[in-house]
Amino acid sequence: MEEQRRLEMSKKIMVIDDEKIVVDMAKMALEHDGYVVETFLNGESALARLKEEAFDVVVTDFKMKGIDGMEVLRTVKEQYPKTKVIMITAFANLDTAIEALRGDVFDFFPKPVKIKELKASIERALEQ
Amino acid sequence: MKRAVSPLPPFKELFHKFREVLASHNKAVEMIADMGEKLSGDYLFDVHYIESAYAELSTAVWGSIKSFDSFTRGRYPNLMDAFIRIDTRISDTLANKISTSGEMIVFLEDTLWDMYYDVGGKNAGLAEVGNLLKLNVPEAFFVTTHAFDEFIAFNGLSQRVETLGRTGRASETDYAALRDTISGSRIPPGLDDAFDKAIRKMRAKCRTFCSVAVRSSAEEEDGRLSFAGQFDTVLNVPLEGGAIREAYKKVVASLYSLHSIAYQRRFRYDAGKMKMAVGCVTMVDAVSSGVVYSVDPSGKKENVLISANWGLGKTVVEGLVEADIYRVKKGQVPQILGTRCGNKESMTVVLPGGGIDTIPTPNELSGRPVLDSEVIVELTLQAQSLEKHFRRPQDIEWAIDRDGRIFILQSRELRLGDDQSKKCASVGEQLKSRPVLMRNKGISVQKGIGSGTVYIVKTPGDIKDVPKGAILVSKRDFSAFVRLMNDVSAIITDVGTPTSHMASISREFRIPTIVNTDDATQLLRDGMEITVNIDDEGSAVYEGLIDDMQGCSEENAPSVTEGHEYLRKRYVLRHISPLNLIEPLHDKFRPEECKTMHDILRFIHEKSIMELVDCARNKRASLRGYAAVALDLPIPASIVLIDMGGALDKGRANAKNGARKTATAAEIASIPLKAVIGGMMYPGAWHNEAVPLTMKDFFISMTRIPDIHSTSMSSPVQNVAVASNEYVNLSLKFGYHFNIVDCYCSENPRNNHVYFRFSGGATDIVQRSRRVQFIALILKEYGFTIWTTGDLLTARVANIGRVRMEQVLDQLGRLIAFVRKLDALLRDDSAIEYYAQRFKEGNYELMEGGGKE
Repeated sequence: MEEQRRLEMSKKIMVIDDEKIVVDMAKMALEHDGYVVETFLNGESALARLKEEAFDVVVTDFKMKGIDGMEVLRTVKEQYPKTKVIMITAFANLDTAIEALRGDVFDFFPKPVKIKELKASIERALEQ
Repeated sequence: MKRAVSPLPPFKELFHKFREVLASHNKAVEMIADMGEKLSGDYLFDVHYIESAYAELSTAVWGSIKSFDSFTRGRYPNLMDAFIRIDTRISDTLANKISTSGEMIVFLEDTLWDMYYDVGGKNAGLAEVGNLLKLNVPEAFFVTTHAFDEFIAFNGLSQRVETLGRTGRASETDYAALRDTISGSRIPPGLDDAFDKAIRKMRAKCRTFCSVAVRSSAEEEDGRLSFAGQFDTVLNVPLEGGAIREAYKKVVASLYSLHSIAYQRRFRYDAGKMKMAVGCVTMVDAVSSGVVYSVDPSGKKENVLISANWGLGKTVVEGLVEADIYRVKKGQVPQILGTRCGNKESMTVVLPGGGIDTIPTPNELSGRPVLDSEVIVELTLQAQSLEKHFRRPQDIEWAIDRDGRIFILQSRELRLGDDQSKKCASVGEQLKSRPVLMRNKGISVQKGIGSGTVYIVKTPGDIKDVPKGAILVSKRDFSAFVRLMNDVSAIITDVGTPTSHMASISREFRIPTIVNTDDATQLLRDGMEITVNIDDEGSAVYEGLIDDMQGCSEENAPSVTEGHEYLRKRYVLRHISPLNLIEPLHDKFRPEECKTMHDILRFIHEKSIMELVDCARNKRASLRGYAAVALDLPIPASIVLIDMGGALDKGRANAKNGARKTATAAEIASIPLKAVIGGMMYPGAWHNEAVPLTMKDFFISMTRIPDIHSTSMSSPVQNVAVASNEYVNLSLKFGYHFNIVDCYCSENPRNNHVYFRFSGGATDIVQRSRRVQFIALILKEYGFTIWTTGDLLTARVANIGRVRMEQVLDQLGRLIAFVRKLDALLRDDSAIEYYAQRFKEGNYELMEGGGKE
């Protein structure tokens, strides 16, 4: 148990959403589980940070002004093929899901997303 | 103005409208439950979600009012006004506009849960403790945030305050000048009058001369952040116009004190936007006072920690003395685990002419324990109920007066800092070989590792020179240390309590802290390089620095701020889900008293059914020819049946007017009603005997409607079944909880559905929620889709054949009968599974302590 905690501790998660309330809540929930979490309110600042360092999992909103979730996904996959990307979106429909899945997204959730499910998905992503 | 009531429409139309009302009502209630779940903290949601979910809900409620209006022919025009009022508050909250009552001063007893913005967090909390939990609190009135706005505007300070906050670059002198200006400002005329009135009213309440504590209650204070000790409190102010007004200004000015500004910045508050409400709370002439933590921050969560001193609580919350510490194991019968009698060198007392003084404790008192076991147990019980009510660990200030009465002065969330020590376990290992300067001295307040150079603070004035990264070593603790929290690596004090304001703030900032070490200022020297390690094992101070903290120290950033916006958004729920309108016979069961969307829906539901019953009872035109009969059942369920056609057997129905006004179960022809009633009457499922209530259940039921402990089921409002041969809408209120069954049961499975809703109860919310979990467990077995939130459950199953439907309804009937008194026995979670298992086996026995073996 203790060992698992320590293992998780070293894992870095990036959360991107243009709504502060979403990234704040995600940060609170994930830090509680011992992850190191960095949050960004737009794709631009997130990609700039990604140039400096790799993250284990990127959780990103789909629809954002400027650089959107799909572009984040493409860039992450180019730079760090091993990094898993999880997409969340308030405007879920089949087209967005298909588009995301084609882009090699690890998982896809409509908002509101149950935190437990997001955490389970992150765990699965880290196992791979 | 009353609208003209139009003549009744034909019955078919009336019934159709009734069903429309119910359908829209049920849909809206489900939406409320769903929103409650999504905003419970278990989901990531965005503002778009709240806005669209609320837009849908308000449309549904509006639709429900419209069909209700049509059904009752415009009998309740005020209901739409209530809707508009509540809707405006919700829209304002969503738009981050703050709406207040517009009152300058409100008394504690008139303060409702939704007046958080008016009276500030601390005052609202106190009102909730007194009004809702009925614990003993002092008399109080609150000067609102609206009064604050008026005060600031009247003195032409609005611009200045806003600019200070916005630029964030104001100097110490700017703030000092603002504080001075506020102290010399004039009270606006409206507030002046309000003060005079409030003082007169308070004098009448106290009868004898009394004085008040004038204390801060900033908008967010005691919400998720403690703000512990950040603002001024003026104690023992005579209840007299001039003194109260002066104290008010002093407290308002403290909003702009340097340490309060530092604290606000740390948590990213805009000091220019913060509003200060003020509480005038009657002084308890305390024999003893102190603090209870509903969990022990340095140890086990199942323990309560009490600290106490003679006199007022100031010495305890400011950590001025070595107070008594009592550790108590929680439970229905709390167990005292340990007592540490402090030396309590000094105590704070009230001075007869106003003000307070801290004096040496008389010899005969200083070494004597402050509390006896009876009081310790009582304090623990109260702490437990506060923790249960607020659903978070609580930090509670209390006092005991000369008559031995316990008063709760304040209850706020106890923020427990995350345990940093585990993340730094490898650093802890490295330290083991180092020479130890101090081990297990004092009381650990916040775990973690801090490494740096010792800086000894002798007077509060020294703190401005503390270098970055220093280990702060001080004779005693000061809440002004908050200004240093970003800069220091650890704090050690000679004197202090784990329940002081500084301790709260250390935890909030996650600064490793030890208090009450006795002689740290002697053992440690200025400039010494040391490392402090506090973990589960205890505390130790080692010689030398740790260069590589491997990320231990950078974890100090607090995460609570992040919850701020979330909480604010979540406030909309406070205008949506709580149910205030409970008792239909109560004179407050009026549209004007609706405070939430749920209230409106409850009103609609109750009145729609009553309308139908009325029509039937009074044989009003449209219902002539329809029977309204009391069901004569072997169980005292007091159900009136309104037969829409085919609900009673032919012989019975033909009897009509002039015949006896009751029908037996055997005479019911309504397929779904017969099945539910059959289940309710199933041998053993209905319990008539009283269920033993604990004192606390009894206490809670007294504050609600106390009939759960009685065996008589004579309900003032009769339960109603509106039924036809294939349909029933059954509304049952037993004691303090509600059941609604709406069912269509025909030969065609595609038409069939059961909708079941359950809510309320007389016990506390935890036990009520357990009952709901129990019901959910059972209904899941029968394929119901279930939503629960708190003590509300809605369940639905559809498209099943008639035979299966009858089986389901029979079980539902048994369940309705069985759970009537079950909540009182669900004293812990294990009992849920225990009774669920027994229910599934057809064993309907109730017993005290079920699930405990």
